[in-house]
Amino acid sequence: MARRSNAEHAYVVAYDISDPKRWRRVFKTMKGYGRWLQLSVFHCRLDGGRRAEMASALEDLIDRDADHVIILDLGPAEDVEFAVESLGKSFQPIERRAVVI
Amino acid sequence: MSSSDTRSDPPAGSVPGQDALGQNLSDQGAAAPARPAARQGELALFAPPAAADEMLTPARMINEWVYCPRLAVLEWGRGEWAGNADTAAGRRAHKATETGAAPALPEPDALPDDRTLKTRRLLLASERLGLTAELDVIEADDGRVVPVDIKTGKRPHVAEGAYLPERVQVCVQALLLREAGYTCEEGALWFADSRERVRVELTDELIATALGAASDLRLTVAAGRLPPPLDHSQKCVRCSLLPICLPDEVNWFRKGAIARTPPPAATPALPLYVQTPGARVTKKDFTLVVQVEGEADRAVALDEVSELVLAGPVSLTTPAVHELLRRDVPVAWMSSGFWYLGSTGGQGPRSATVRTAQYALAADEPRRLAFARELVAAKIRNSRTILRRNWRGEDGERGPLLDRLALLADRTARAETAAALLGLEGEAAALYFRALPKLFTDAVAALPAFAFERRNRRPPADPVNACLSLIYAVLTRTFSSAISVAGLDPWKGVYHAERPGRPALALDLIEPFRPVLADSAVLMALNNGELAPDDFVSAAGGCNLKPKARRALIAAYERRLDQETTHPAFGYQVSMRRLIQIQARLFARFVCGEIPRYPHYVPR
Ligand code: SF4
Repeated sequence: MARRSNAEHAYVVAYDISDPKRWRRVFKTMKGYGRWLQLSVFHCRLDGGRRAEMASALEDLIDRDADHVIILDLGPAEDVEFAVESLGKSFQPIERRAVVI
Repeated sequence: MSSSDTRSDPPAGSVPGQDALGQNLSDQGAAAPARPAARQGELALFAPPAAADEMLTPARMINEWVYCPRLAVLEWGRGEWAGNADTAAGRRAHKATETGAAPALPEPDALPDDRTLKTRRLLLASERLGLTAELDVIEADDGRVVPVDIKTGKRPHVAEGAYLPERVQVCVQALLLREAGYTCEEGALWFADSRERVRVELTDELIATALGAASDLRLTVAAGRLPPPLDHSQKCVRCSLLPICLPDEVNWFRKGAIARTPPPAATPALPLYVQTPGARVTKKDFTLVVQVEGEADRAVALDEVSELVLAGPVSLTTPAVHELLRRDVPVAWMSSGFWYLGSTGGQGPRSATVRTAQYALAADEPRRLAFARELVAAKIRNSRTILRRNWRGEDGERGPLLDRLALLADRTARAETAAALLGLEGEAAALYFRALPKLFTDAVAALPAFAFERRNRRPPADPVNACLSLIYAVLTRTFSSAISVAGLDPWKGVYHAERPGRPALALDLIEPFRPVLADSAVLMALNNGELAPDDFVSAAGGCNLKPKARRALIAAYERRLDQETTHPAFGYQVSMRRLIQIQARLFARFVCGEIPRYPHYVPR
């Protein structure tokens, strides 16, 4: 079945950025799309539109010859149980909940 | 240009019912007649040239008109816009072409005659034609120019090389180039995904179709008409205005056919509530950061905030306000007691069409009363449903109570005046609230703090009333935002009279939702033991929730909004949150006369 464009998928985004200034910028940008997981790794939950926007924002920042970003699609965020083994700290799938502070 | 198209290009070769012209004519209904240009004996009459204060019609909108007339009118005539995955992909494909400097196009008589020249992002306009276009790429060669429009996706496999809407768009670009004095004999489309170029031949028929579409669009918008939605078209599935347009729902009223699937939410974003006194909200990069003294800062991605709700003494920085305004995210300002003070931003469509119709409805006594009757009936039926579903009292009391409420609901149909309706509503409310404690678990009923005798407000005298008041206020805000986003004015009511500071339309529309959404959220929080007697403070004759308890109760309400429900008219499953947005849109359609009545939410 075709992917419903508005359905959210879970992603892992990992990057190697050769220049510290660019690395910092990518890091800041990624904070707008997901949760910081590890040094250069983010965990995201995005619909099709934000997924494309994120890729486009990253494309603008990186140097195509020197840097590398991979976006791993873990599947539909709502209906799939991720098989994640997390050693040390625990891994929590991102839940979509209203934030009340 | 296609970068901000509301929809994607038609999926290559996958649109069923495509005829040889590449157009799904049966989809377009009466509102988009085939242009008579190619037939004999008919004269195409075009709209007169654009008057000085009229907007020129963008080529992109003519593309949309040919795709779906309703789409073009919603977007261009009503100021509605929404993005989806396809529009985001379109922007991405476009950006890839924007590297390097864009040379300006020389005057027609100074065109170099022996080399190819490319330019980008050229804005052309003609008052005489009433048209304007933003051109992606123009190539000049041998004294002739060719406009090239960039599209995402693959080249469709149709005889003409591309679908009609795209060819019409390029044709308008070519006509504008000719109008500017250039020699232009053909146009082209570049399909970014398959990296293929398609030549667009400027036949007389294509030109007539383009001018005819431009004329039809302009006249339709000028007349304030909204073309009907397409009927079960594959085009709607790809259309980013689907959540706003509601084609299946509107058609349901015309044909009684069941809607396919609920329209998707425009965004997965959710409200962010900040109600801790002294909290500060700032913008940092792509996030909102909430600082509370003695707690770690919380960052929430701006994209994930549908609405910022600030209650009580909480501050928000100007850069954050600017960013939220830019993104059209409303900020709801509320008192510490969650009294709705007003909103900043999130004004909805850039047009007053719906509001104008709303004022007309409010002035139309018979229509107003008819709406009010159904509204009060829905509210009474829903209170009855809550009692029926959650009853924990004596079995013998239940039957007569439910019968009495059903009778009151039926009587609304014969109420002659708003005052008579108020009487029925009052009697039903008294019965309902007297029975409310029968829905508490034994554990809750045993706590004297949670004793509940009757509904009272301003200030609420006891914890249960305090919870109800808080949640009603939050529910009012949820609706006020949904109403504004749908282009309606929350301050002008149909059943509730206007009073300063009272969002009368929100109060109207929440009536049926009070029992099934608000009261049930309070019941959920109490019966689950999420609230304890020491979560409340009583002072000066009033009772209030402590900040932590307010947090818990609002979270319970938001959880309730995420629960799925069946839409009683359309039969599909949606979250309560999405349902409220759909109801606000439907109310706007009802107000404009597009659907004959507003289908109240009355779950079984
Ligand atoms: S959803 Fe369908 S009917 Fe509505 S504007 Fe889009 S294409 Fe047209």
